[in-house]
Amino acid sequence: MTTYLIRRTLESIPVIIGVSILVFMLLRLIPGDPAIAILGERATPENVAAIRERLGLNKPLPEQYMIWVSGLLRGDLGNTVRGNIPIVNELRARFPATVELSLVAMTLAAVIGVPLGIISAVRRNSIIDTSTMFGALLGVSIPIFVLGLLLIYLFGVQLKWLPFIGRLDSGIKLETRTGLFVVDSILTGNWDALKNALIHLILPAMTLFTVPLAIIARITRSSMLEVLNQDYIRTARAKGLGERPVVVTHALRNALLPIITIIGLQLGTLLSGAVLTETIYAWPGIGKWLYDSIIARDYPIVQSVTLVIALIYVIINFVVDILYALVDPRIRVA
Amino acid sequence: MRSVLKYLSLAMIILILAAPAVAQDTTFRWGAFGNPVQLDPALVTDGISLNVTNQGCEALASFVGSTTEVEPWLAESWEVSDDGLTWTFKLREGITFHDGTPFNAEAVKWNFDRWRLTDHPEHRDEEGQVYEYYEAQFGGFDDASLITNVEALDETTVVITLSQPMGAFLNNLAMSNFQIASPAAVEAAGAAYGTPEVGFVCTGPFKFVEWTPDVQVVMERNENYWGEIPGNVTRIEYKAIPDSAARFAALQAGEIDGFEQPNVEDIPTIEGSDNMHIVYRPSFNTFYLAFNYRIQEFRDPKVRQAISLAINRQAIVDAFYNEEAVVANTMNPPTIAIGFNPDVKTPYDPEQAKALLAEAGYADGLSEVNVLGVDDNGNITDEVVETIPVRLYYMPVVRPYNPDGEAIANAMAADLAAVGITAELASAGDWSTYLSERSNGNLLGLYQLGWTGDNGDPDNFIGYFFHDVDEPLPREGFYQSPQVAALLQQARALTDPAERDALYKEAEALHAAESGRIYIAHGPVPLAFSNRVSGWVPSPFGKELYKFVTLQ
Repeated sequence: MTTYLIRRTLESIPVIIGVSILVFMLLRLIPGDPAIAILGERATPENVAAIRERLGLNKPLPEQYMIWVSGLLRGDLGNTVRGNIPIVNELRARFPATVELSLVAMTLAAVIGVPLGIISAVRRNSIIDTSTMFGALLGVSIPIFVLGLLLIYLFGVQLKWLPFIGRLDSGIKLETRTGLFVVDSILTGNWDALKNALIHLILPAMTLFTVPLAIIARITRSSMLEVLNQDYIRTARAKGLGERPVVVTHALRNALLPIITIIGLQLGTLLSGAVLTETIYAWPGIGKWLYDSIIARDYPIVQSVTLVIALIYVIINFVVDILYALVDPRIRVA
Repeated sequence: MRSVLKYLSLAMIILILAAPAVAQDTTFRWGAFGNPVQLDPALVTDGISLNVTNQGCEALASFVGSTTEVEPWLAESWEVSDDGLTWTFKLREGITFHDGTPFNAEAVKWNFDRWRLTDHPEHRDEEGQVYEYYEAQFGGFDDASLITNVEALDETTVVITLSQPMGAFLNNLAMSNFQIASPAAVEAAGAAYGTPEVGFVCTGPFKFVEWTPDVQVVMERNENYWGEIPGNVTRIEYKAIPDSAARFAALQAGEIDGFEQPNVEDIPTIEGSDNMHIVYRPSFNTFYLAFNYRIQEFRDPKVRQAISLAINRQAIVDAFYNEEAVVANTMNPPTIAIGFNPDVKTPYDPEQAKALLAEAGYADGLSEVNVLGVDDNGNITDEVVETIPVRLYYMPVVRPYNPDGEAIANAMAADLAAVGITAELASAGDWSTYLSERSNGNLLGLYQLGWTGDNGDPDNFIGYFFHDVDEPLPREGFYQSPQVAALLQQARALTDPAERDALYKEAEALHAAESGRIYIAHGPVPLAFSNRVSGWVPSPFGKELYKFVTLQ
């Protein structure tokens, strides 16, 4: 197991280096640059050149890359081009928002999606199955912004039940420790803030969890169906086991690998920021920030944040691999 | 699924019943489309950052109400020497910065020196601080700066020396980018001044409280403000709500009190509502369609004039703009204090357009054009390097002057088709790419762009574009007009408004006679408000001050 973990860790290093080079080069291959974005309609070749000079964009590319990487090795993500603000501060302000929303959405999607998939598989072609699968199709097909705006108009504007702007009402004071408001309000025993943070999470989480929910339900169903057709399930039933132990102990455990994989992948996707959901709900996460930074060609932000996201993907894959090993002893041996 | 939904909605209802009521009566909540970049106005160019600092920071001069005229502000008066080179400012007395340090001549000198001198300890250009507007308005830094000396004669007298007379000098000083910050605060914060940790420290009616990135900037009333605060706002929450439909929903739900630029289709809903209303910001912008003069056919004035006559500006304004928008005939808009020429008219006359095209040799229409080469000196040669379709490039973003680039381009193409010009719509990528291609002269055809003035002076309008077109400039589509350039250069170095007015009018007339470029529209920006807001004073530059706002 230990050698397996060490090997997996070492394998991640070239991935991270590859991502850093790729994102660095891609940014410089697309037309436009930070100077143009700063200047907007004012961009003339002369003042673009002057700003490029001052931002160090006229240096040779390998030199620019080395400056960035040597900063990273010292733990310095650099400063934003527009505003010259340390990126690490900006990231610290935004990343917890994305993490909190992703975890809530993902937990809901898994907690609801896996049982739905199991029930659909066990009661194949029943009404529950068809309606779940129809719902899943709807879930992956409905555009996020349509769903988000519908929810806002229904629950926010018409019924006035739920807030739909940001993470907390500005009247609520909360001492932040982790940046996850739900956790922080519990840690500090601030129940007003807890309630407020939770009601702010409802609509964005409902918007964000539809796609993963649908995918998880579908994958669980097909994975379960495959397992339920296996000989050992027939054997388990034949030796007189009840339906519940057959499904939960024998079938589900063996069907788990693809489910864990898809949950891991979906979580990785959500953690890299949900641009549309964050935009609609003014949720101050990294998705919208990264999007804006690409539009503004703010190279340092895009480079550093992409790298952080790549790191998260690597870590999640790592955790998924460990879970594999826990679920399936054959992987440990291999 | 049904039981899950039941539990979810039950949980929701419990939470809602438990939710506390918030909102103070005198908190003004504004829904901005984004986050400020930085709260040091010297370092930024974006409207959102400046909107925030405008509430708390002030400059030596200011603009009068909803006009582009300049009035004294932190300076109570000024005098200029006869040669236009020496400006003496008398400062208001008894003003302190938000940190309690005094506002005086030394503080003004310190700010100007920080902006203009690269060796000033707080200039910090080596660390990436970019003083874009100082460079743009005052020619550059150190020896390149048109401001050559700033002296504090005594506690309330500042003398600024220029290397050449500058017609737009006072308008420049009134710009948000030249608001005076507390030297002590900037020195204490260093590179962190203007970041979320520090915010701004100035002299204005509101003080910085906190900035949570992508959430909001909070400001509160400065109880020691030197001037009058006509409204009753005690606290400002400047919120970032990027989605325009969500901003509108937030206004309807009462989460914000106002926001900028509602969608054109939402305006009737707002105007028909009992609890919302629209206020128009006077338009200080111009939308245009430019020729790229590397296109051989566009070098013929008859072809340019035909295209100008073919485009039905009024129909475009009626179809795509709000009700306050007007057709543009010139670069300078009617709201500009000097330099608007009302005599220039650009009529719609497709028959005349066809006749001119026939005279120019295109009686059978025009669908392909020749691109001419450029030599090493940047001059256009006679050599045809390629033949391409007539292209009409449209902007990929919405601007106050351009509510829908692609739809307007479609309308323009239809107008052109009616006189026999077959233009195909062309996209040049995202906004950065579009600007980059435009700036290098690579948009080979007709292309959309526009301008919103920064300081109310024509030198920042028509002058900004064409003062150096004595050479063919790639960024202006290789347009070249030495006569126009000469007039604009002459006007920028004068200080007498009447003399300058005449020169700008002449330049506009000359430019229009050449059909040098096609001006389409001036688009006022609509602002949507809750009916609890009154007293709003709209500004052509968007420099609206919340100190005038009264909340019910």
